[in-house]
Amino acid sequence: MARTLQKTGANGPLVRPDDVETQIDAALTLPHQPLRARLDITDPQDADHLRSETLVHLVRHGRRTGDQGLISLVLPVLLARCEANLIVKVPDGQLPEAATVREDILGEFSEMFASDGTGKNPDELDFYECKFNRAFRFFRIDVVRRETGRLKLVAQMPEPDQDGEPEPHDDVFARVSEVFRSPATQDGDVFRSELHDAILELPPDERDAVILVHALGYQEESDDPAEETAATRCDCTGRTIRNRLTRAATKLARFKEDL
Amino acid sequence: MTPSITASPPELRDALYALSIAKDAPDAALLDDLVRRFPQFGGELTDFAISIAIDALHGEAVVEAAKAALDPNILSPAVSRAMSRFQNRLHAVSESTRLPAATDRSVSAYAINPFASLSREDFRGFARRLDASSVFVAKLRDRQIEPDTLTPGFRKRVADDLRAPLDVVVAHFAAAQGGTAGPQFYKADDKPNNGGRQTFEEAVRSSGLSEAQQRALLAL
Repeated sequence: MARTLQKTGANGPLVRPDDVETQIDAALTLPHQPLRARLDITDPQDADHLRSETLVHLVRHGRRTGDQGLISLVLPVLLARCEANLIVKVPDGQLPEAATVREDILGEFSEMFASDGTGKNPDELDFYECKFNRAFRFFRIDVVRRETGRLKLVAQMPEPDQDGEPEPHDDVFARVSEVFRSPATQDGDVFRSELHDAILELPPDERDAVILVHALGYQEESDDPAEETAATRCDCTGRTIRNRLTRAATKLARFKEDL
Repeated sequence: MTPSITASPPELRDALYALSIAKDAPDAALLDDLVRRFPQFGGELTDFAISIAIDALHGEAVVEAAKAALDPNILSPAVSRAMSRFQNRLHAVSESTRLPAATDRSVSAYAINPFASLSREDFRGFARRLDASSVFVAKLRDRQIEPDTLTPGFRKRVADDLRAPLDVVVAHFAAAQGGTAGPQFYKADDKPNNGGRQTFEEAVRSSGLSEAQQRALLAL
């Protein structure tokens, strides 16, 4: 029986999905030899493929019970999956030292298993038994943001003051919003990839305005003081948000032509 | 760059995890809800929601394809180094929790034993492929051999055969005795003691191996 998770998520105490729970219960009964065979299966469509959530539980189980053999079987497989993720998500060229950052993420992640059950956040790995890919996404982005913050020594430029009400750019942002709100497919990967890179190249204030309004769905501003808007999230006025969107629209105008 | 695991306080990490695992891509309702629950981290949650939204543009299809293309028989240098960091952290954690009376060893026994997961058949199969006896392999498993006397070629041969990172195998040999794990697959008459270690050559010479087997192992 898999150990109960201790952490709390957005919707209350964390609970593993039923299929993960079932797979963990079965995997815990496997002798090492058949477990090794299951670990060799890389096709997620294969019924015997072990999910990453299950691998996390097995490593933690090995850590708790002192089963070093189990750890040495499972942890390298899990780390190899993480490395595959990182090669895609933190590609060479995205950061000056992408390979070093990838290695730091992988190393830090492996250390978390050694520290499991200790320190100030003893149950952090609970998140990974619930939704591995999304939890690892946090871990990866957190390290990348720290590294990006360390590298960014550029002084914040003063925001240009624009007279008059900014022009709306609905035509540009209609496509941007559509892409953000529709699931990714293989067919749209090129467009998404180009949009992704273009958004990363925007100045932070413009990028934040675009994402808050056109990806997360916030209003630019509201007459209702209790309503959260892009302006309240950025602690600025609605006009400032619109100015930022106008400047961003100019830079993203080429995506309108791809309609 | 040497960021630490505790780069942000646990409460903030929990809030950001909650944001990340709730949905593939966050929306205003989710962010508002989490900011209400963690008002002290409103700015951090907003920044992170923006990062996740950008990240989610790519989707997971390419990542899943990369994972499916992994060769389970190949261990990358990066994974091997991550395993080393795991070992080092494990050592540090076990050292910090060890009772003072038990700190008379300079080397921790808490290293992964790559032999521990071997079944009896695996154990014998490993000995067969190495062209050695079970007694000799038991000495490897039980850290009965002076690690400095093992040749690099022999260590690599063991790591390759066990499909374990070389660093893990080296750390196992270097760790203190007493970390024996797993069942014993040798006869009582030949049971290695848990006292002093033999050199690699002594271990080869005293494990019931033929001259040819001894020469082959020492030549690795």
